[in-house]
Amino acid sequence: MKDFFVYRIALRLTLPFIVAICVLIGGTTSAIAAKTARVQIGFLGVPPAGFQNVLLNVVAVRINPHANVAPTNGGWQKIPAPPGIGGGFNAELQIDLNSSQNVPQLFNTAGVRPGNYRIAQLILDSTNPGSLIPNCPGPSADGCINYPIQLVNANGITLSATPGGPPLITTANGTLTSFVLQAAVTITKFPTAPGGAYTVSIVLTPTANVAIGTVTGQVTVTPGMGSGTSTTGKVRKLTVTAQAIGTNTTIATAPVKAGILNCTAASPGGCFTLQLPAAGPPPPSTAPFGTLYDLAVSGGADTYAAARLQPLYPSGSITANFAVTGNQTLGNITGTVSDGCIASTPLSSATLQLLVPPDPIAKTKPLPTFCITSPEQCISVATANTDPAGNFPLPGTATTPTAFANVPILAKSSKGYVMEVTAPGYDPLFVLAQPGTGSNKKGGGTCSLDGGVTFNACNLLMTTGYIAGAFAIVPPNPGQTALVQVFAEDHDTNNIESALPMGIKVGSNPNVTGCSPPAGSVCANFKLNVPPSIPIGAFDLFAATIDTYQGVADPYQGHSIVAISDVPAPAACATVTVPTTTDPNQVISCVGHGSIIGNVANADLGASVVLEKLDPEGPTNDNEVQITSSLVQNQSPTDSDATNRYSFCAPADTYQVQKFQIPSPVPTVVPSASPTAVPEGTPVAVTIPPPPDAGGPSPTPTPAIKCPTSCSHPDGTCPGICNFVNQPL
Amino acid sequence: MRQFVRTLLMSAIGAAIAVCVAACNSQTGFSGSVGSTPNGPKLPAYQILGTTGTPFTATISDSRSFWTLQGNVPLFIAICNPPSAEAQMTVTKTSADNSLLSALIITGNHIKDTQSTTAPFGTVTVQIGKQTSVPSAASPDLRIFLSGPLKTKYQALVEDIDTGFIIGSVPPTLIVFDTPNGKVDATFFGPNNHTTFTADMTLNGEVVVPTTSGGPNLTIRQP
Repeated sequence: MKDFFVYRIALRLTLPFIVAICVLIGGTTSAIAAKTARVQIGFLGVPPAGFQNVLLNVVAVRINPHANVAPTNGGWQKIPAPPGIGGGFNAELQIDLNSSQNVPQLFNTAGVRPGNYRIAQLILDSTNPGSLIPNCPGPSADGCINYPIQLVNANGITLSATPGGPPLITTANGTLTSFVLQAAVTITKFPTAPGGAYTVSIVLTPTANVAIGTVTGQVTVTPGMGSGTSTTGKVRKLTVTAQAIGTNTTIATAPVKAGILNCTAASPGGCFTLQLPAAGPPPPSTAPFGTLYDLAVSGGADTYAAARLQPLYPSGSITANFAVTGNQTLGNITGTVSDGCIASTPLSSATLQLLVPPDPIAKTKPLPTFCITSPEQCISVATANTDPAGNFPLPGTATTPTAFANVPILAKSSKGYVMEVTAPGYDPLFVLAQPGTGSNKKGGGTCSLDGGVTFNACNLLMTTGYIAGAFAIVPPNPGQTALVQVFAEDHDTNNIESALPMGIKVGSNPNVTGCSPPAGSVCANFKLNVPPSIPIGAFDLFAATIDTYQGVADPYQGHSIVAISDVPAPAACATVTVPTTTDPNQVISCVGHGSIIGNVANADLGASVVLEKLDPEGPTNDNEVQITSSLVQNQSPTDSDATNRYSFCAPADTYQVQKFQIPSPVPTVVPSASPTAVPEGTPVAVTIPPPPDAGGPSPTPTPAIKCPTSCSHPDGTCPGICNFVNQPL
Repeated sequence: MRQFVRTLLMSAIGAAIAVCVAACNSQTGFSGSVGSTPNGPKLPAYQILGTTGTPFTATISDSRSFWTLQGNVPLFIAICNPPSAEAQMTVTKTSADNSLLSALIITGNHIKDTQSTTAPFGTVTVQIGKQTSVPSAASPDLRIFLSGPLKTKYQALVEDIDTGFIIGSVPPTLIVFDTPNGKVDATFFGPNNHTTFTADMTLNGEVVVPTTSGGPNLTIRQP
C-alpha cells in the first residue's frame, strides 16, 4: 500500500518536475544565449565650473527597446561596472567628469540582445551617488574637501530617443556598438555647511561617438605542432588587448571570432574590433591630437603577437592584422621575488611582464635580448604579480587561468622570453624566462640572468638602495596626529620611483632623537627604498601629509609640502643620508588648503601643467621639484566655449607652475617608443594667500568653523576658508 | 478530470517553487535559528580594486588598531573583532602610470565610501564615521592571507576562543584579527569540489602557518 502511494505521488509529480525544469531552462537560455551583441559604454563629462573633481559612483547603465518602459520591466539590458574594476558582487566605478571632458572614459562592455534601444538609464549608487570637490573658496565653507551630492532626478537619470525618431542604439549580432554618454551636471542648490550636500541634476546626451576611434583586424592562425593544451589547466581565449603605449595598462579587450560579417580569417583565428578613446578635437577639426596604443595578441594556445599603432583619431580607423601559430603546448612560469639586500624578505607588490617586440621588428628576427636592451620598443603580452609571500603569479579565475599559466613553450633553440620585473624602490630586473612543461603549478619554468647561458628556478632577487633622513614638522597639538608620506622621483622629472610603505605618524610629543630641526619643529624620520641604478643618478624628494578634515577623509592636504632636490643615488644596498634642514622655510606646517587655477594659451590635448616646489637649500637654478600635474581641461572644438583650464588643490604656499607638452603624434607614423612630455616656456612663480585663522581663543573671520579643520596651529586656531590664485600660462 | 486538475495544480506549484529557488540563489548570509546568540554588528570590509595588478601600499584602521600592508589590485580585506563601526583606509598607488585604483569600504554588502585615483602614486582615503581616536599599531598583528581563483565566492568562519565571525568574500583576501583572545583559526568554505584555496598566517610579521592548500574547504589554525 505504501509503495502504491509512493508510486502514485511520483507519477503525479513527474509532470510538475518537467514543467519546472522547462521553466528554469527556458528562463536561463533566454537571458543568456540571446545576448550576442556587445555594447561598450563610455562617458564624456560636462561638469560645472569651479571644481577640482566631479565624481559619480556609477553602478550600471541599462538600456531598453521601449521608451516608456517601467523601471521594473524585465526587458532592461544591463551593462554593469566591470567586476575586475569595481568589485565582485556590489560593483561600482567612480567616474571623474572633470578628467573626461575631452577624451571619454570607458566604463564597461557587456553582451546585450540585438535590437533597437530607445531609452538608456544611468544607475548611480543609491546611498552615495557621488561627490564634488570645489576649488577654493568653497560654497559656504572650505574648498578642496569632499561634498556629497543629492540628485533631483526623481525618476532616474534617463535618456530617451525622440518619439518617431531613430533609436539611441542599434545593436547587431556579433558586433560591438560604442555608446558614449555625455553627462552634464548642474548644481541646483549649494550646501550651507562643511560636508553638506550639493543638490544636482544630471542630464544625459548622446555624443555620436565623436571622441572614439576604431581598430579592426584579423588574426590568422597557422596550425602548429604542439598539443594545443596547457599542462596545468584550462586555456585562455584568444583576445586582442589595447594598452596605453609603453605600458601594460589595459584600455579594452576584444575577443577574436570567426564567421562574422566581412571576416575572412578562419577559425581558430578570426576578426576583432576595438573602439577606443581618441584625443581630438573631433571633426570638423583638421588637426586632432591623436592617441597612441599598443596591441597584444594572446590566448587560444597560439604564439604571442604585438603591434604598436600609428595615432588613432576621433572617428578614425586603423587596421591591424596578425599572423600567429596555433596548437602551442602551454607551460607556466612561477617563482618568487625577494629583496636582494635583506635576506628572506619577499616583495609583495612586484609586477612581472613578458615583453615581445612588435610585428615589424619581430619579423626581422631580432636578438633574443632585444627587449632587454630596448624595453621601450617592446610590448607587454602577459602580466603577473607577487602575493604577500613574494610568490608569483596570483591565481586567475575558475574559468580563465592567469596569463603566466598559459605561456607557449618555445623551441629548444630559443633563449626564452624577456621578462621584466619591477617593484617600487627597486631596480628593474630583466631575465630570460623559459616556461615549464610539467604539471607542477608551483615550480614551473626557469630563468636566466646571464643572457641565456644558464637557467635556474625563477627565484629572483631585486636590488635596492636607501635614502634616509628627516623632514622637520611642527608637531600637532595634543590629541592630533599628522601622517607624513615621502616620495622619491627621478631628478628633474615627475617620474615617481618610490614612496614609503607606510606614512610616518607624528604625534604631539614624538620621541625622536638624533636630529636637530629648526626651533619649534620635530623630526619625521624616514628611510626610503630607491632604485640605485637610475640613469640620471639623483633623486628629488618631497614630503606631503595625508590629513583629515574635521575628522573625515580629506582628499587634499592642509600641511605644506617640503621638497629636497638632487639627492645622489645610493650604491646597491647602501644608504645615502640627507642632512636635516636648518631652514625654517623647510618645515612642514599647518597652512590650510588653497587652489591655483588658470588658462593655458594655445593648448592642445598634449598639454599639461606641473606644480613645482623649490628647495631653498638645493643647487642654484636646479632646485625645482615636481609635485603633481594637471591636464588642461575643457578644450572644446569650438573656441567660444573652450576654457583650456588647469587647476590644483594645494596647500597655501609659494610654488612654480610650468607648462609641459607631449609632442604631437605624427599622422600615419608608428612611434618607436612612448613620447615624453617636455617643459615649454619658463616656469611662473605663484603664491596662494593663506586662509584666515578660524576658531581658537581670538575672534576670527570664520567663527563658524570648528577646529581642527585639516590641522591646527600651536595656539589652537586652525586654517579657515581657503583662498585661490589665478595664474594664466 | 479531478486528477488532471490536481496534476495541473501541482505543476503550477512546482514551477513557482522552481522560480523562487532560482531567484533566491544570490542571497547570502546566515539566517538560521541555531541557539539564541544574537548577531554581532556587521564587519567593515575593505576592497582595493581597479586595474588588475596595480601595486599599492595601504594602512587600514579601526578605532583601536591599524595595520599596514602592500599588495596588488584586487585585494579584499576584513577586520575581525573591531571595537566599533569606525573604519578608515588610506591607499597609495606605488606605480607611476595612470592605472586605476579604487578603494571601498563596505558593511553588510553596502558600499559606504569609495574613492578612486589614476594619478601616479596617487593616494585615496575612505572612511566610515569620524576619526575620534588615534589607533595604535595592531598588537598582536595577526593576519591570514587567502588566495584562490578570482571571483570565487566563499564563506569563512574566523574565530578566537570566544567570538566567531562570518565573512563572505572572494579571493585574494587579507583577514586581520583585532586583539584576539587566545589563538585564532579560520575555516574557508568554497562553492564546489573544484575549488582549491591557499592560505597562510602571520603573527607580528613572522609566518606561523606556512602556505597551506586545500579545497573546497580549508582550515588554518594558529599553532
